[in-house]
Amino acid sequence: MTPSRRSFLMGAAALSAAVATPEMVRAAAALDVAADWALVTRDLEGDVAPQTLSLIQGRAPAGLEGSLFRNGPAKFRRPGGSSTHWFDGDGLMRRFDIRDGQAGLTARFADTPKRRTETALDAVVTPGFGTSGDARARLGSNDDASAANTAVMVAGDKVWALWEAGSPLAMDPATLATEEFVVLRPDLKAMPFQAHPRYAPDGTIWNVGTNGGRMVVWHMAADGGLIDAQVVTLPRASYLHDFTATDRHLVIVLQPWVFDHGGMPFSSQFAWKPEMGTQVLVLDKADLTRTHLYDLPTFSFFHLGDGWADRDGTIRFDVAAGKDVSFAMDGARVLVDGRGVVPGHPAALSLVTLYTDGRAEMVSSGVTAEFPKANPLFAGSQRSLTAHTTGETSGRPLPTGLAIHDWSTGRSDAFEFGVGHVVEETVFVPKPGAVSERDAWLVGPTVNLRSGKTELHVFDAGRVSEGPMVSWSADLALPAGFHGAWKA
Amino acid sequence: MTRSLSALSLSAIAATVLLVAAPAFAAPAFAAPAFAAPAPTAITLNVDTAAHTGKVMVVLFDSEAAYAGGAAPVAHAMIDVAAGQTQATFTGLPEGDYAAKMFHDVDGDGKMNTNPFGMPTEPYAFSNNAHGNMGPATWAQAHFTASGPVTQTINLR
Repeated sequence: MTPSRRSFLMGAAALSAAVATPEMVRAAAALDVAADWALVTRDLEGDVAPQTLSLIQGRAPAGLEGSLFRNGPAKFRRPGGSSTHWFDGDGLMRRFDIRDGQAGLTARFADTPKRRTETALDAVVTPGFGTSGDARARLGSNDDASAANTAVMVAGDKVWALWEAGSPLAMDPATLATEEFVVLRPDLKAMPFQAHPRYAPDGTIWNVGTNGGRMVVWHMAADGGLIDAQVVTLPRASYLHDFTATDRHLVIVLQPWVFDHGGMPFSSQFAWKPEMGTQVLVLDKADLTRTHLYDLPTFSFFHLGDGWADRDGTIRFDVAAGKDVSFAMDGARVLVDGRGVVPGHPAALSLVTLYTDGRAEMVSSGVTAEFPKANPLFAGSQRSLTAHTTGETSGRPLPTGLAIHDWSTGRSDAFEFGVGHVVEETVFVPKPGAVSERDAWLVGPTVNLRSGKTELHVFDAGRVSEGPMVSWSADLALPAGFHGAWKA
Repeated sequence: MTRSLSALSLSAIAATVLLVAAPAFAAPAFAAPAFAAPAPTAITLNVDTAAHTGKVMVVLFDSEAAYAGGAAPVAHAMIDVAAGQTQATFTGLPEGDYAAKMFHDVDGDGKMNTNPFGMPTEPYAFSNNAHGNMGPATWAQAHFTASGPVTQTINLR
């Protein structure tokens, strides 16, 4: 079926992913004007000098003092060639400071070999997740391809910009100056270190890095120093962006998006094979050779919530579960195009239970969700609350709201900013002396599409539906970020 | 898995360097003409390393076919970085096109080390400071013409 030009103009939004091939969507996109959400993938031409944010409304709660570091792509387009995928833009490390009731913002690009090469050529030449690159790329190792753009980990007196196919990049937390790629151990140079390290109740940190059917498991001390690293073989060579953990298990979700053939861009190597179902591999932290494999109905995913295990060994975790990989393959390209209908189906927050007798269950909350976050004091432990972005729709998979889902009651405490905002990942900041999950604030930014500026908001985690306690505005819009970390 | 450098391509560099047993190629003597003779061909490679331990292993090829692994290098050298050496010079060579591959054996174990996913963990380089694209630099990128003395400084950081 080939939609007519008239049907494009009258109802581009009606072209669901079921009938719209990538070629047709791009053709439709070319007929549209720049989308209202185009700021989400705007380019910044340089670092953002430290600025004080102006107060929009409310008052910062007493006791909230610290910094929210966030990372995300902020440069996509160059005259000689551009990144064609959201995940490939140059990383901009942002730091929002809240101190004495005021808020400030500083942001600096990660000074990566990729960015230096491409600045000198004034062309994007490096292959990436969705960008093909070309022969002008200078690639001696995976770190040479790093956009250092996905997440942040506080490591001792540094902050690490995380990507996924190579090393973390150390940066100075005060100046946001770039230092060196992190070498956790000399024989492990340039091994992949993914974007979602998991914090254990014992204070140590676990992470993974994948390479086809093999995965390196990193175990680190609280300051990022290496305790141990081991390579394990996975039952299937799935693409995985995230993993989760309980206090005593690693939980590896294996979606049926599996390695099929080599080549660039990276995402072209994988084939979506829904008939395979989704599997979950559980590894015992104390002995990675002790594993259990579970089968679940087919779903795609980027993000998981922190897991927890009962005394009897039953494991639970939540997931922003998707239908397929159309957003990853096509939606995230259209976001960089800045116009048209964005393919992809919103994910829904679902709870997975893995029983010790080998049964696995998955129950959807029915709530549209992405960027799930839990209270860090409860990471790896029994918990009920997941904060998440919400409001995404097919055709416009950009969050417009924020919610906390309570798995113990099934209730959602939500606030809707509306389509004038794109809501970014929002983190729990436990209140001083906190004892329960709700004794926290939620802190996170939005891109205000109407004012054309980035805003920072603080919510009370016990009263999300009442809206932000305080909101500040920057004097510019930062392109949307991915993931962050709070540093008290 | 192709997100990492081709382990086979780069281990081929190490294998070429380490399997070299042949002595440096001895060129025939040139008859000196009555008028001023051209300076003899000599190739000097200065290496700039980050670490000051171990040795830099260098192999020199005189043809594209040899560079690709089809024949032995025409010459090889070991630069003893730990002893303060920073240079290798190849003399007695005919004029022509050459390309060099080298790596810095920082830990002195005689091997170009790789991480568990096949990525080199010791520095490696090619003449012209040529860079490959997730693999070795090609002959087209790395070769240079030597007629008389030629010097290159190679970044092995």
